[in-house]
Amino acid sequence: MTTTSGDRAAQLAEAGLDGQNRTALGRVLGTGSIGYAEEGPDGKMTATVRIPEDELCWEPGTLILPHGGDLELTLINDDKNTHCAVLPNNGDPKIIWLVNHAKGTASLNLDGPGTYYYGSTTGNDEGRGLTGAIVIGGEVPDEAKLDRPPQPRP
Amino acid sequence: MTDYVDAGAAIPHQQLSAVKGSAPATGNVDYERIQGARSEPQNWLTYYGTYDGQRYSDLDQVNKDNVKRLSPAWVFQAGATGMQSGASTYSFEASPIVVEGVMYVSGPDGRCWALDAVTGEELWRYKHASPYDVSLCCGNVNRGVAVGHGKVYMATLNAHVVALDATTGEKVWDTTVGDVRAGESRTVAPLIVKDMVVVGSSGGEFGTRGCLDALDAQTGERRWRSYMIPKPGEPGSETWPDDGEAWQRGGANCWVTPTYDPELELLYQGTGNPAPDFDGAVRPGDNLYTDSIVAIDVNTGQIRWHYQCTPHDLWDYDSTMENLLFDAPDGRKLLAHADKNGYFFVLDRTNGELVRVFPFVDRITWGEITPEGKVTPKVYPDEEGVPVHFWPGPAGGKEWTHMAYSRQTGLIYVPVQEVGATATRRRREFKESIPYWGAGVAVDLEDFYGYVAAIDPVSGEEKWRWRNEYPMCASTLVTAGGLVFQGTPTGEFVALDAETGEKLWQFQCGSGHHSSPSTYSVDGRQYFAVPTGWGGWIEGFLPGLLGAAAGDALFVFALPQD
Repeated sequence: MTTTSGDRAAQLAEAGLDGQNRTALGRVLGTGSIGYAEEGPDGKMTATVRIPEDELCWEPGTLILPHGGDLELTLINDDKNTHCAVLPNNGDPKIIWLVNHAKGTASLNLDGPGTYYYGSTTGNDEGRGLTGAIVIGGEVPDEAKLDRPPQPRP
Repeated sequence: MTDYVDAGAAIPHQQLSAVKGSAPATGNVDYERIQGARSEPQNWLTYYGTYDGQRYSDLDQVNKDNVKRLSPAWVFQAGATGMQSGASTYSFEASPIVVEGVMYVSGPDGRCWALDAVTGEELWRYKHASPYDVSLCCGNVNRGVAVGHGKVYMATLNAHVVALDATTGEKVWDTTVGDVRAGESRTVAPLIVKDMVVVGSSGGEFGTRGCLDALDAQTGERRWRSYMIPKPGEPGSETWPDDGEAWQRGGANCWVTPTYDPELELLYQGTGNPAPDFDGAVRPGDNLYTDSIVAIDVNTGQIRWHYQCTPHDLWDYDSTMENLLFDAPDGRKLLAHADKNGYFFVLDRTNGELVRVFPFVDRITWGEITPEGKVTPKVYPDEEGVPVHFWPGPAGGKEWTHMAYSRQTGLIYVPVQEVGATATRRRREFKESIPYWGAGVAVDLEDFYGYVAAIDPVSGEEKWRWRNEYPMCASTLVTAGGLVFQGTPTGEFVALDAETGEKLWQFQCGSGHHSSPSTYSVDGRQYFAVPTGWGGWIEGFLPGLLGAAAGDALFVFALPQD
C-alpha cells in the first residue's frame, strides 16, 4: 500500500474522490470545503450552504459554529435536480424541500460542543455525497464541568 | 437565471407524520403519589414501578392458566432518520412509564414519545439533537424517563437533562449537567424524589469523576451534587494515592437509577468501576467509592454509609446495578444487590451492615468473598502484556438489567450471565475523552450460557433456575399472576411460573432484549410493555451474538379481547 501526504484537496481530486461517478460512484463524504457561521451581536448565528450543480454535495461540506445556540441557516439548491434537507434541531429535526433552483431557511437550535450531520433524505442523496456536517466548538458551561484540576487532552 | 424558487422555512419533521401533537392531561404525579405507587398497579409510575426497586406488580389478570393466550396488542417502531451516534450500537433499553393510559418512553438518540397505551398511537414526540461524536462507552441508549409535576424528565447522550411538558412534549427547561469534552454522557432514567429530579453520571470508561445530581424539578437548577470519588482530605480519600492524580479521573459513575427509602430518606446508588478499569497499579488502595453501594441523604446529597463490593477493582466490576429494598420476615430493613462480581449481597439498609453474601453464578475465578465479606483477589491483569482469563467477565454475572422481587413468593428473580473474558494489561496515559481502560479486553465467544435464578434472599438458597443457551441480558418482571417475565438475547419474551421456573409461554420479538419491561392496565385490561432491540455493549456482555439482528420496536402484549 502506498500513501500520500500533502494538500488534501489535490489528493482527493487526483484520486477521483471529490466528484460524482469518478473513482467512487458518489462523492466521498467529508470531502467538501470548510465554512464558518457568522455570529451576530445577540449571539445568534447565520450561515449559508449550497448544492452546486451535479455535485451532490453541500458547500461548505463542513460548517463550523463557535458555540451552541440558535442558527439561522440559508439553504440554496443550485442543482438541476430536486433535493431536500433533514437538519438536526433540539425538539425535532427540521425538514425543507428544495426543488431545482430553490432557496429556503431553517431555524435550528443545537447544543455545543459536538458534531451533527444532516442530509438530503431522498433516494440515496445521503450516500452520494449530500451529507453535510455542522461542527460546534466551544466548551460546556463551567458549572457543568467536573470539580477537578484541568486534565490533559489529546 | 431567474430568481430562486422560495422554499420557505424548514418545518418540524413530525409535522409530516401522523403524530397527534398532544397527550391527555393526567392526574398530577407528585412525590406523595409515587410513594404510593404500589396502590395503583394500573400505572407504572416510576422507573422500577416503585421506589423500592422490586419490579413487582399486583396485577393478576394474566396468570399461569391464561398466559398461553397472551398476544401482541400493538407494536411501536422507533425507526431513525439520517446519521446517529453509535449507529451500530443503538438499543431500546428503557422501562416504559404509564400514567392513566398514557405511556412515556425514551429510545436511542435522544428520543422520547408519549403513546396511547391502549392503541399505540403516537401522541407526541421529542428528539434531543445528539452529537454524532459524543463519547459513548456502551452504545446509543437511554434507560427511561421520569414523569411527574406535569413534566417528563429525560437525560441525554450529551449530558443534558431536559424537562418536557407532559401534554405536548415541548421543552420546559434544559440543564447541562456534564462535560462532553471530558467523555461524560447521561443514559440513566431520572428519579423524582420530593421536588427534585435525581440523575447520575455516565462515562466510566473515560476517566471521569462520577457524581449524582439532584435538580430542582421546576427549574432544573442544581440542588446538590454528590461526587463518588473524594477529594484529598475528604472521607475516603485515604483509599487513593496521596500524591497522585488518580482520584481526579477515578470513575465511580452512577449510570443506573437509585432506589429510595422514603422513611429513611436515603437513596441507594450503585457506583461504577474505577478508572482505568484494569490497571490498578496507577491507583493503589481500595478506591472508594467505586464499585460500592452508597446510601445518600436525599436532602443534602451527603453520603451516609457505603459498602464496597469489589475493593480495588481490576475486572471492570461496576456495582451500578439496582439495590432492591425489601423487609425480612422479622421486619429488618434489608437491601439486595446482585453484583457483577458474581456475589449476591444482602445488607441492612439502615446502616450498610453486611447480613449475607453468597455466590449466585456458577463460575467465579477472579477471587473469593467469604461469608463474612472478606475479599481475596486471585486472578487479575497484573503484568504488562500478559493475558489473564477470568469469570465473570466485565459485564458481570449480572449487568445493569434488573432483578425482581415477588411479594407472593419472597423470591428474587435474577437474570444471570455466565460469560468469561480475557484482559491483557496495557498501560496508557490519561487524556480526556479517550477510553481509559488500561488493558486490551476480549470477552469469550464460546462457553457461555445464562439462566433466571430464583433466589431466597433470606436464606441465600437458589430455589430453581430456568436455564437458557444464551446469557440473560434483560430485566425480569414479576406479577401477582404468579409469573416471571424475561426477554432473551435471541428475541423470545418468556413467561415462567414464579414458583417452579417452568416455561409457560413465549413470543419471538425478532430482536434481542436488553430493556426493562413494565406492566399496566387500562379499563381493566392488563398489558405488558416490552422494548426490544439488540444493541448496547454487546461486545461486553455477549459478543457471541454481535451479529444478531438489531431492532428498536416496542411490543405491547395483552390477552385477546373476546
